[in-house]
Amino acid sequence: MKRRVVVTGIGIVSPLGFTKEDFWNNLIEGKSGIVPMTSLDLSPYTCKLGGEVRDLHPEIYLGNKGLKYLHKGTRFLGSATKMALDDAKLPQDSSLSDQIGVVIGSSLGNFSETTDYFYEIIRNNPSELSPMVSYDVALNSSINYVSVTFKIKGLARTISAGFTSSADAIGNAYGIIQRDMAKVIVAGGVEQISIDLYLIFYLRGLLSGLDGTKEASLPFDNKRNGFVMSEGSYVVILEELQHALDRGAPIYAEVRGFGNAFVGGKNYSKEERARRVERAMYSALEEADIKKETIDLISANANGCKMQDAIEAQTIQSFYGSKGNDIPISAIKSNMGESYGAAGAAQFISAVMSIHTGTIPHIINHNEKDPKVNLNLILQNPVRKEIQNAMVNTMDYDGNNSCLVISKL
Amino acid sequence: MKSFDTSRYKVHRSCEVKDFHLDVELENQIKENTIHKYVYYAAREALQESGLLHDKSSFDKERFGIAMGTLAAELTPHERLLRLHASKKDNGFDKIVAAVYPPNSITNILAQYFHFEGPAMVSLNACSSGNHAIAWAYDLLRENKVDVVMVGGGDMIPQTEFTHFHNLKALAPEHCQPFDKNRQGLMIGEGAGILIMERYEFARKRGAVIIAEMAGYGLSCDGFHMTAPHPEGEGAVKCMGDALKMARLSPSDIGYINAHGTGTPHNDKAETIAIKHLFKDHAYTIPCSSTKSMIGHLMGAASAVESVICCLALRYGILPPTIHYHTPDPECDLDYLPNRARELTVQHVLNNSFAFGGNNATTIFSKIE
Repeated sequence: MKRRVVVTGIGIVSPLGFTKEDFWNNLIEGKSGIVPMTSLDLSPYTCKLGGEVRDLHPEIYLGNKGLKYLHKGTRFLGSATKMALDDAKLPQDSSLSDQIGVVIGSSLGNFSETTDYFYEIIRNNPSELSPMVSYDVALNSSINYVSVTFKIKGLARTISAGFTSSADAIGNAYGIIQRDMAKVIVAGGVEQISIDLYLIFYLRGLLSGLDGTKEASLPFDNKRNGFVMSEGSYVVILEELQHALDRGAPIYAEVRGFGNAFVGGKNYSKEERARRVERAMYSALEEADIKKETIDLISANANGCKMQDAIEAQTIQSFYGSKGNDIPISAIKSNMGESYGAAGAAQFISAVMSIHTGTIPHIINHNEKDPKVNLNLILQNPVRKEIQNAMVNTMDYDGNNSCLVISKL
Repeated sequence: MKSFDTSRYKVHRSCEVKDFHLDVELENQIKENTIHKYVYYAAREALQESGLLHDKSSFDKERFGIAMGTLAAELTPHERLLRLHASKKDNGFDKIVAAVYPPNSITNILAQYFHFEGPAMVSLNACSSGNHAIAWAYDLLRENKVDVVMVGGGDMIPQTEFTHFHNLKALAPEHCQPFDKNRQGLMIGEGAGILIMERYEFARKRGAVIIAEMAGYGLSCDGFHMTAPHPEGEGAVKCMGDALKMARLSPSDIGYINAHGTGTPHNDKAETIAIKHLFKDHAYTIPCSSTKSMIGHLMGAASAVESVICCLALRYGILPPTIHYHTPDPECDLDYLPNRARELTVQHVLNNSFAFGGNNATTIFSKIE
């Protein structure tokens, strides 16, 4: 029999704050974490806005020991993991080691550190570089750091699937607990702003402001013009229901279904893409064994890109039929930007908090209706509403689509 | 080594792929060899052998998934550009590099050519990436969420990884000599390995030639150190044990172990301890070789290629040797198939992979009756 899986802890390092309380309050107050970026030299480029994480003090969560060897992404993930474990009131000695795993989505991992290390290599005598220079440069080294630091011995897995990475990681962790292969999994995502990632987005023409406009990060708005890059780490503790009940853990929500569908290559049509998004939604609902009519909230992928937002809106409309216009839609990327491999986990946490608090954060920066987007977008003010079932939708530019369904326990 | 200038290193050897020329030009690709090209080549060969390459009507593409493992993705071609353009504002990036660098471009390029639309994932689990991808696929197949999954892994030899291993003093200067008393380290390698995994009923129904059956897997994490394995192989014991449990096999059922066997003093000793701990007296009678002695350590592709080796060992009844084995080590006292392959029909084989950070994954394959 499949085990039931619940969320018992949340940890956040984001442009909107470092605890679930800060993050959530800032979302509900309609604040924006998007600022002119200072961590990169962007003088040659037109797009300068980003959701930067500022003033994180990782020593609060990780102590000072060895901190100087840790790069940005590892500090993010380590801090968020510590917050999530504390929030779930889990013991952090070895008592649960074999029962705990970690599954993290990160599209590029510590790629920029790898590039920096390469510069060190070609500018210096490579055989004289200390091994400590490369202590934290593997693409998955932030996950290794977490497993070593928190004595996680069940499994460690890193999933890279572009923009759906962390939704896929949560979906995979959920499956592992369902199959009773672990009792607790630290799941989520981490991604960091770097010049390399900036250039990947910039050269692919995905960033907001390429055309010189000042308005940025406008999900579903008629004037949307691309996304604003963001960074952070979003971690949840997924736990087998009985295990959580037995130890009296706080339970935020239950994970009910995960669906994933892919259409690779560059030559697919809009219709084909929409069909795949629909397939991901359908599979997640099928696994959850609930009717689509019972979904009370969709945490949308929408990040302000012209084509993707349109496909998402049309898919929701066609998939849900007449009800598609009624389901409340949130789009938190309006506040925090697009955090790439970490984005799905951020949306997931937002949906979990909506279930937990009965509040839906509103979409900011929305000024002009797109006549083709006929959805119940939550605008201007947050909405108070009891939510039984919520859907988290994620889409990658290279064709991966993943969807999670969560419910109130 | 030809991939880059090694004059400032103490080690100058590796297991490079030589004389590779892909006979088709992939769209929007860097001209030189890339991991995409290796993976594409292996994928086409695997699909060809499975019979699925030209018979697209025999499967539902929505039930055809893909899972690939890699340690560094397209870091090698990126490094080539950085060497040329280090002072440029765009770091040598151009539109093509921007499109191919993210690791999931591997699944994307394969989907573009082979048209599958099921679940997709790229596993970044360093040296156990391939086995992680295989384990992921196995779950989907067992739960009847897909009919077919293309699984495997690919890696090239980036200078950063070479330097990383070199400065940890993990590289062998001349030969990779797993389990030999005088072993000095691993030999870094490159390439790709791909398998087509199908649900048994699906494969039977379409009349596929079945090479082997996957029986189970185990995962674990040392939770011990960023770069060193647990000295007693604690995580290795758990993941081999979990794999046996899932396969419903006892230690005496295993006929061959394809060891992680990197050739570093620490790994081979810890792995031997772990095998003896779990297999008890049987440990001495189970042939156990490290094929890394011949092809090097393919990092993210290692366990994928080694799974291919395991399946072929089952199919042909031949167990591959550990070469460069000269001096027995009292601490490594198992049957390592020294220097010569052995003809032996076995029923179940176990494939170990243990990565940096203690990311462990073991797979088990069985002969199909």
